[in-house]
Amino acid sequence: MEIVESAVHDEARQHAEEEALGALVDQYATTLYRVAFSVLRNQSDAEDAVQEAFLRVLRHRETLGEIRDHRVWLIRIVWNIVLDRKRRSKTRPETDDIADLTRVLPANGLNAEDRAAAAQHHNHVLGCIEKLPAREREVMMLSAFQELSSVEIAEVLGVTESSVRSRLFRARNLLAELLHHKRSIR
Amino acid sequence: MNLSMQENPAKNELNGSEAMSDAERTLRLIAALPAPEGLEERVKAGLRVAPRQAKVMLWPFLPMEGRRWMQRAATAAIVLVIAGGGWGVYSHIQPAPLPTAVSAPQPLNGGGGFNAAVARRVPQTLQGPVVSTPALTTEKGASGKSDGTVRKHGKRSGGKKSVEAAPTVR
Repeated sequence: MEIVESAVHDEARQHAEEEALGALVDQYATTLYRVAFSVLRNQSDAEDAVQEAFLRVLRHRETLGEIRDHRVWLIRIVWNIVLDRKRRSKTRPETDDIADLTRVLPANGLNAEDRAAAAQHHNHVLGCIEKLPAREREVMMLSAFQELSSVEIAEVLGVTESSVRSRLFRARNLLAELLHHKRSIR
Repeated sequence: MNLSMQENPAKNELNGSEAMSDAERTLRLIAALPAPEGLEERVKAGLRVAPRQAKVMLWPFLPMEGRRWMQRAATAAIVLVIAGGGWGVYSHIQPAPLPTAVSAPQPLNGGGGFNAAVARRVPQTLQGPVVSTPALTTEKGASGKSDGTVRKHGKRSGGKKSVEAAPTVR
């Protein structure tokens, strides 16, 4: 009788965990996808990264109750995954990036030619961002997410808030120099 | 880069801020891209088929209650086998008998005390005949005192034999 009760209890617990996990997916999958895409710049890679992040959550679901801020925790998980993937993957050709950007950028009433030009421009800017030192680049990319404060960025990166601010300042200066330099060359 | 910025700081600052806003616009655009359709459903489907947790052994044909009982029995059996094997090895080891007396090493040259690091080896030779050196006598003047027989310290050379054998040194 005890065995049957514990089995029922297990099933109920499993069901509750699945529901909690499903709610997390509904709430944060889009945010995680955006974070992953900003680094990987490939739709299927970004989706894989989101999937892997939730699989990690599933494996450590017993710790879900101890997490204070699920959003920052999940972003941190997916951030580590995408950085790891990017480190391991070989450099993609620039033409692939431009093609991907053209496909995913919103149309906004632009014709195909304008969209391609816009994608090329954005790709050029992203190329300059890629030239920044890793620490500055990471802060810069995370700061583009409106929903992340500097405190939350610090939590994701595992550094202090003042460090985030100083890195962001340096990143902006470096990026402005890089972009201006490229413009003057043109 | 810095040289170009020093030429006209105000203009360059403006250009820099323009470029900066351009870059931030791009980053924000990418950060705000919509997720693909059905992302959540695909993720949930992936979670449904994923293994719940890592397992060392899986018995898919047993019901839940039977599985637990079998797991415990298997765990106990593994522990018993490991412990039994350990005991078997332990019991078969025979410790070497302790010696009742410890023999001291023989000293080199039969001597004790300090080591013989700087000792000179003396070869064992036969005892040969002893050659006695003749005693030298000197005349100490013409006073006739030197009779050549007895000297003050001439204990060794005392006696007739030495007097006879001693040659005179002039």
